Amino acid sequence: MIRLSRQRIEELKRFLQETKVDRVLLPELLDHLACEVEERLWEGEPFEEVLAALRGEVTVAVVQDLNHNPLKLLAMNASMNEIIFEGRNKAYGAYVLRSRYPRNIRIALMCVLLLMALAVALPKIFGTEGSGKVTDRMVETDLERIFLKEQEPEVVLPPPVREAVPVQKQVRYLPPEVVTDLVEETPLPTIEQMETAQISAQNVEGENFTEDLILPPTEMVGPAKGDVIELKGMEEKEFLKAEQQPEYEGGSEAFRKFLEKNLRYPPQAARANVQGKVFLQFSVMTDGSIANVEVIKGIGYGCDEEAVRVVRLMPKWRPGKQAGRPVRVRYTLPIQFALAE
Amino acid sequence: MKPVTNNNEYLRGTLKTIVLNLLAEKGRMYGYEITQEVKEQTQGTITLTFGALYPVLHKLEQEGMLLTESVEVDGRLRKYYSLTNQGTATADVKTQELGRFLDALQQLISGAGPRVIPATV
Repeated sequence: MIRLSRQRIEELKRFLQETKVDRVLLPELLDHLACEVEERLWEGEPFEEVLAALRGEVTVAVVQDLNHNPLKLLAMNASMNEIIFEGRNKAYGAYVLRSRYPRNIRIALMCVLLLMALAVALPKIFGTEGSGKVTDRMVETDLERIFLKEQEPEVVLPPPVREAVPVQKQVRYLPPEVVTDLVEETPLPTIEQMETAQISAQNVEGENFTEDLILPPTEMVGPAKGDVIELKGMEEKEFLKAEQQPEYEGGSEAFRKFLEKNLRYPPQAARANVQGKVFLQFSVMTDGSIANVEVIKGIGYGCDEEAVRVVRLMPKWRPGKQAGRPVRVRYTLPIQFALAE
Repeated sequence: MKPVTNNNEYLRGTLKTIVLNLLAEKGRMYGYEITQEVKEQTQGTITLTFGALYPVLHKLEQEGMLLTESVEVDGRLRKYYSLTNQGTATADVKTQELGRFLDALQQLISGAGPRVIPATV
């Protein structure tokens, strides 16, 4: 087999770039062409001839077709017209009418829009000409003196004096709260303390609580947890590829070690001598946790279940980021099962 | 002699199935390998063109039937395609469907009856 030199490959790449191929498609198409050229060289054709042949085959039109809609099916490749008129008389006229139809429609639309714009603009054009004819006139008017009534000062009422409400005795009794750091603990009040006081969010020394004195309950509000700003739009969307891809905390080396430590070869797979890759897909949430683990391609014999188990075992990842914000990313991960020789 | 390759008309509807079926058979292939395999198996009767194959591969990938892996070979990135579990199931169904369709076509072309009369030379 003949291997193409780097120089030849560059030449092919330049040729492909001339056809304005999409950057995403370039490596794949380059490899395809290189394979084809290698094959033809092997068959004895000179390089220049092969390249000339390819120029005929891989035209700008073909590549553009791939570019514009890389997901286009072959069935859609030929336009509807080509399908209808395959093997029929194209010269008769209907084919020409049909194929020119989109262009004609576009031209017609442009014309209509232009006319509309002209129609709207016309009065303005004439309007500016007409304004010159209006002559200015002077009208004399006598100004009367206006006397303003003096305003009486508003009577400011003193604020109503509120009767002093006797403060009730209160005891701090909050529902327990899970905290990460050990905070100063307030001992729970004893039953005796609570019997003579009202339950509230803070300790207030005051009058003993009695049944016959009913006061509005003090507000049960815990300390504020700071402002929480939620960016729902970003979080709800799941990315297939983020600007900054999620990563195992510690990088690929740490991940390899983690796998080595935790991945066990399923005995039935080892017995059946099954090897290969299990492809998993999972969501890396904004906080780095792993969810929705799914096997998209497995090799069976317990390997799929083992791979899922280990992935669920993983510590939190570094979440993917889009525009600097952590986002949910769907991540595909191959896990290799290989038996030692 | 160059074989007649104007089969595009028939190829259009079946290309997807052909690709799925080939991948089910071979496991992992890249684009050029697929064209060569088709050419070889049909002795050159069917040749897939550049512009026909890749849209189908990309479409199938988008639909979640195929999985891709890029591997560096001779300094070039080679994109390998293989079937996902969903792709394997679809390949099965599609191949069976096509088989039934071909049988029906055979009956249509060979005349009223299901029997095929061998032509005498």
